[in-house]
Parts: sequence; structure tokens; C-alpha cells
Amino acid sequence: MSLAVDPSTRPSRRRRLPTGVRAKLFAYALVAPVVLLIIGLVAYPFFFAIYVSFTDQVVGSVGKFIGFANFVYLSKSATFTAAIWNTVIIVLVSDGLKLLIGLGLALLVHQAIPGRGIFRSFLMLPWAMPAFVAFLTWRVLYQPIGGGINLVLTGTGIYPHVVDWLGQRQTAMGSVIAASVWRGFPFWFISILAALQSVPKDLYEAAHIDGANAWRRFWVVTVPGIRQVVIVTTLLSSIWTANGFEHVWLLTAGGPSDATMVFPVLAYFGMQTQRVGEAAAVSVAMLPILAILVIFATSLMMRDED
Amino acid sequence: MDDKPNSAARGWTRRRVLGTAASSLAIAAAGSFPMPAIAQSKKLTYWGGLIFSDEANKLLTDTINAWGAANGVATEVVMINQNETVQKVSAAVSSNTMPDALDLGLDLLLLLSRQDQFITLDDLYKKIGDAQGGWFEGTDKATDTTKDAGGRTGIPFGVNGNLLLRRKDLLEPAGFTEAPKTWDELVAQAVAVNKSPVSGLGLALSNVGDANVQVNVLQSYGGRIADDAGKKVTIKSAETRTYLTWLKDAWDKGIFPPGNTTWDGAGDNQAYLSGQAAFIANTGSVGIAAKNDDPELYDGSAFSPLPAGPKGTISPITPQTRAITKNSGAQDEAKALLEHLAQPEFMNAYFNVAIYGPVLKSQEKLSAFDGTNPILAGLLNLAKAGTAPAYPDVYNAAWADLSSNFIIPKMCQRVVVDGWDFDKAMDEAQTQGQIIYDKY
Repeated sequence: MSLAVDPSTRPSRRRRLPTGVRAKLFAYALVAPVVLLIIGLVAYPFFFAIYVSFTDQVVGSVGKFIGFANFVYLSKSATFTAAIWNTVIIVLVSDGLKLLIGLGLALLVHQAIPGRGIFRSFLMLPWAMPAFVAFLTWRVLYQPIGGGINLVLTGTGIYPHVVDWLGQRQTAMGSVIAASVWRGFPFWFISILAALQSVPKDLYEAAHIDGANAWRRFWVVTVPGIRQVVIVTTLLSSIWTANGFEHVWLLTAGGPSDATMVFPVLAYFGMQTQRVGEAAAVSVAMLPILAILVIFATSLMMRDED
Repeated sequence: MDDKPNSAARGWTRRRVLGTAASSLAIAAAGSFPMPAIAQSKKLTYWGGLIFSDEANKLLTDTINAWGAANGVATEVVMINQNETVQKVSAAVSSNTMPDALDLGLDLLLLLSRQDQFITLDDLYKKIGDAQGGWFEGTDKATDTTKDAGGRTGIPFGVNGNLLLRRKDLLEPAGFTEAPKTWDELVAQAVAVNKSPVSGLGLALSNVGDANVQVNVLQSYGGRIADDAGKKVTIKSAETRTYLTWLKDAWDKGIFPPGNTTWDGAGDNQAYLSGQAAFIANTGSVGIAAKNDDPELYDGSAFSPLPAGPKGTISPITPQTRAITKNSGAQDEAKALLEHLAQPEFMNAYFNVAIYGPVLKSQEKLSAFDGTNPILAGLLNLAKAGTAPAYPDVYNAAWADLSSNFIIPKMCQRVVVDGWDFDKAMDEAQTQGQIIYDKY
């Protein structure tokens, strides 16, 4: 059976957009929710934070525009200067160590050794542990009285005196970095291990046939093969380390005497003073450092692509 | 048959996807609008200050809810960790989602009062005071926001402050039966019982609020943060040098616990509770914890006021207040609630499980302060004789900012951690302090 339609009752055909335009509109419509989310959840807070850093906003007020006054104030603060250097040191040293440890362990478990599956899982434990638990545990280990490290050192006779690891300038930064490296190296390890597994074995065999020794094979085959991954890992890890709050807060709260003060902890202190503009300025002041890092890493990756 | 498929059986077209998404958005948007007032009952949201005592938190919550049930007001009590009050209030002010009433400390009360966030409560303040013998002088002066807000915006409900907590079970065998009267006596007693694993003097010198006790010590030696106008920083002085001499001398005697320069807010608590400190200055929470978890330690402990320096005792009170927000739609109900929460029956029960001292003179007669609880007895003394916040300095925004930046504890760290000489440490504190004061 067919249904007859009276042509006089058929709605007049509306003018339709060309197919290409309709396809584009449809594409935009599909992308729009994501764009709106990014604008709402990333771009707006980001640019609003920058705006707030140029205001004298305190809790409960909108604040007024004061230009660079917050940054001028910060530049006069000894704590701010300490935070700049400490942040740079923590990022450079801890990420350098994470690279060395992650690379070394990845090369090790990339070999066909017995039980390497268990070993790989075991190495991921620090990364899997909540940061809060990890750093509180390190704090307990560093305790002068009853702390695990001092107990081992004094018990074995390696060093007979109790060391206040977190309480003195000479050891505080090193202690924070050690804990940070322990927590963060598994990310490097797993990233580099994945990159190693993607390097074609043929290249090693060819290099071997050409007479390259292990060290030479590492430099001409392994390093180029994992270079891109290392650059991306460096970028991500450096940003995380620079933005990291809990490792310093839980271990030293920036002390002693600003020896471990970093940007995020300083920004937190800014919030405690209820001066939102200043706290935002501390966070914004960190952007140039991160921007340099991002530009450097991106240029390296682009050079590789070229 | 050439039938058109019915709509239910049709597949998802682009138009249907977009149409459904648009409908969903419209429904979600509509859901976010408030329902008509006629459909709502009067609701009162209260942000209570979460303290360490579960009993106190429960008592406050239950009392507010019971009051709401009895008065036909739907109450919602949200207990806010006091360490997070600033962040929560900051977000709430920005998003216009402040509660109807809330507990808050003096700093935040003053700050938000200047921002015109609260209604004035002079009548209620007077009514409660008149009914209960008047307010203690220190509380009365400290919580007067008239200059900033045109009236009183906070109803005080308790004060806290630092007491000296000591291990009498260690000190008495060493010949010290009385609490130290001066900071020098304190050091002498601490030295006498300073034997590993017990450190004599468990005072924090880190970037933490507890370390600001050092400001009180400095002031008791005659040092000042700023001049009487509260404008010009005067940290560098002969009196501050004397104070630093006392500190360095105590440090060199090895009576501070290792790690105290990086302690967090619980550092002194943990040191005392684990038996590693003979003296600490604390609000009394440690005493409560010891009473619950380590009765032997509690029995071996005693509480006393902070010692005096050459210029007297500086033992500031920290009032806690309740306030009603300007945007509240239930201001009358909130006022009635605050009056209810000031009644002696509730406050007596609350004082017994919380760690606050009294604010009203008649509260001295409550059974909570009959002397059987040494912590509450100490807090009663504090309420009656404690000094105003910042005294002898001026309590203003610059003072609060300087305290939050731990300028004095950092000066101490420069001396004991970095080994700076007194002049260099004072110069830095003076400069950094003036930079802060110049902002206001």
C-alpha cells in the first residue's frame, strides 16, 4: 500500500544551506560543547587569575585595578626571591635525578631478566601511592627522634649523631628533593620504558653488525629513539614539580628560614593573609618560568620533526 | 508496503541529536533557577566552625537543628574546618552563596565587616550582655567592629589563647613545683628536665601560627612590631635584641626539640603527646587529647598562664564570633538562633566539650568553670586577664598580614638556623615588616 500525498498540502520547500556549509555548521555544533567547557573551565579561570593579580582584591571584595603594585611588592620580598630560586633548583635537580633513575631502571627492566614483570609493577608503587600518604611517610622517616633514617644511621654506626634533616638549611632542600624524586621517578620510568619498547630491534642489530659497542648503540639508537618521549616527560614533570605543593608543604612548609619556600606554598600563604590579589600575583609570577620551559621543549620537538 | 517508519523507530539523526542536546540544556538551565517562594519553607544555613571535639561539633549541630524544628525553620548546618574557613568564605562571597550565619575568628570578622558583608547586631549584643552580667572587658574591646562596620557585627561565643602546658611529673622531682613565672624561669626549668628523648621547651619556630607565640615573648620583653599609630614598624630595637638574646641562649642550651623550625600546626601537639617535650604553649587542645588518649600524661600535666617578661605578661585572647550575613533571607531567624546559642544551658554543655573560655561574666558561674577541669580553669583566667589581640601593638590589617607572613618566627629562624647576627636578622624583619605595613 502506498500513501498518496496531496501536493497542495505539502509544505513549501525551505531554502536549504549548501551541503558544505551545513557540514561545517554541524562540525562547529559538535565541537561547541568542548570549546565552551575549555573556555569555562580553563581559559576563564586562567585569564581571571591574571586579572586578579593586577587588583587589590581581598576576601569579600571585588578589588580595584592597581597595575603592577602586587608584583612590585613581591619583588621586594625576600621570601619571594627565595621562592624563585628554590623552585628553579627543585625543578632542575629533582627532574634531572628522576631522568637518571627512570632511564636507568627502564634500561634495566627492558632487558630479559627473570621476574621483570613483578619488578616493573613494584617500581610503580611510589607513583600509585597518594602524595599525602607518601610525603607524610617521608616526614616520619626524617624525624630526628625515632625517624627511620636516623635510626638506621645511628644503629649501624654509619653516622652516630641524630640529624635534623628537615630542620636545618644544609639538609632541608636535599631532603625535600629526595622525597620528591622517590615519588616522581616512576612516571619517567614507565614513559621511557614504553619508548624503549617502540625502538625497532633491527636498528640495534644493524648497529651491532657495524661494530658499535653497547655505549655507542645507546647514543646512536636508544637516545634518538626515546628523545621525543623524554622531552615530553621533561615538560610534564617539570610543570608538575614547579606546581607541586604537597611535597614542600607536608615536609617543611617552606622552612626552615625559607630554605625550601616555593611558589605554590607562597601562594597558599598569600591566601592565608586573605589577600587574593597578592596570592594570584605569586601564581602568575611563576608563568614566565613555565613558559620558558614549554617554549624550550616545544622548540626541541619541532626541531626533531623538521 | 511503503509506510514511513514511526519516529520511535527512527534512528538518531543529526537534527535529533542537536535537538535533544538543546532540550537537555534547557531543562538543566531551568533547573538551576530557584523555585517560586511559595513552594519553599524558610531555610537557614549555618556554617559552624569544625573543631577537634566531635562531641562539640555534634552538640552544636544537634542544637541548631532542634531549634529549627521547634521554630519551624528548616536548618542546614555545615561544619567547616577552621583552617579552610578563609578559602570557603572567599569562594562563597565571590559566588554569592554565603550562608545565613556562620562562626568565624576575629581576623575574618574584621575583614568581612569592612567589606560590608554582615549586618550589625548591636541590639542583640546588648540584650545578651545585659541578660548575663555583661561581657568580659577583653572580649568586649576586641570584638568591637563599630569603627570598621558602623556597629557590632559579631556575637562572641568563646575565647581561646595559649596556656603553658607542663610536665609536672618530670618537673616536680627536679624540684620545680610551681609554674615558671618568667621566660627566664621557663628556660631554667626546661634545662633541668632536658634529657633525651625529652626536650625541655617545645615551642615552634617554624612558618606556622603556633610560632607567633614568639611575638608575645618579644612584646613581653618590651619589643614592639609598630608604633602607637600602627604605621611605622619598630621591630629593630634594644628590647628586641634582649629578646633575641634570650632566644639564642635557650637555643644554644639545646632545649628546643629537633625539627621545631619546620613543624606544622600539630608539631608541638605531637611532641608533647609523644612525651618529647616538657613545656609547650597551646590552646588546650593538647590537654583534651591527653585526657582522652593518655590519662597518665594528662594526670602528669599542669596548666598555667604564659610566663612574663621584663615588661609583664602578654597573653592575647582570640575571640570566636558568630555573624549574620547581609544577603541572608532569614536574618530575624538567624538573630533568634544566635540568641538561643548564647543561652547558659547550651553554652555550659558546649564549654565542657570544646576548648573555649567564657565571654560573658555570668558564665564564670557555670559548672564548666568550677575548677575541676584545669584547662577550662586556665581559659577562664585567660578570659578575665588576657591581653587584647596584638597588645601593646595596634590590632589592624597590617598586623594580621605581618602575623600571617610569620615575620617574627622567620627572624628567629635567621638567628637559630642561619646563624645570622641579631642586627642582620632584625634589619630583615624590620624591612619586610615595613613593606607589609606600607601597603595599608
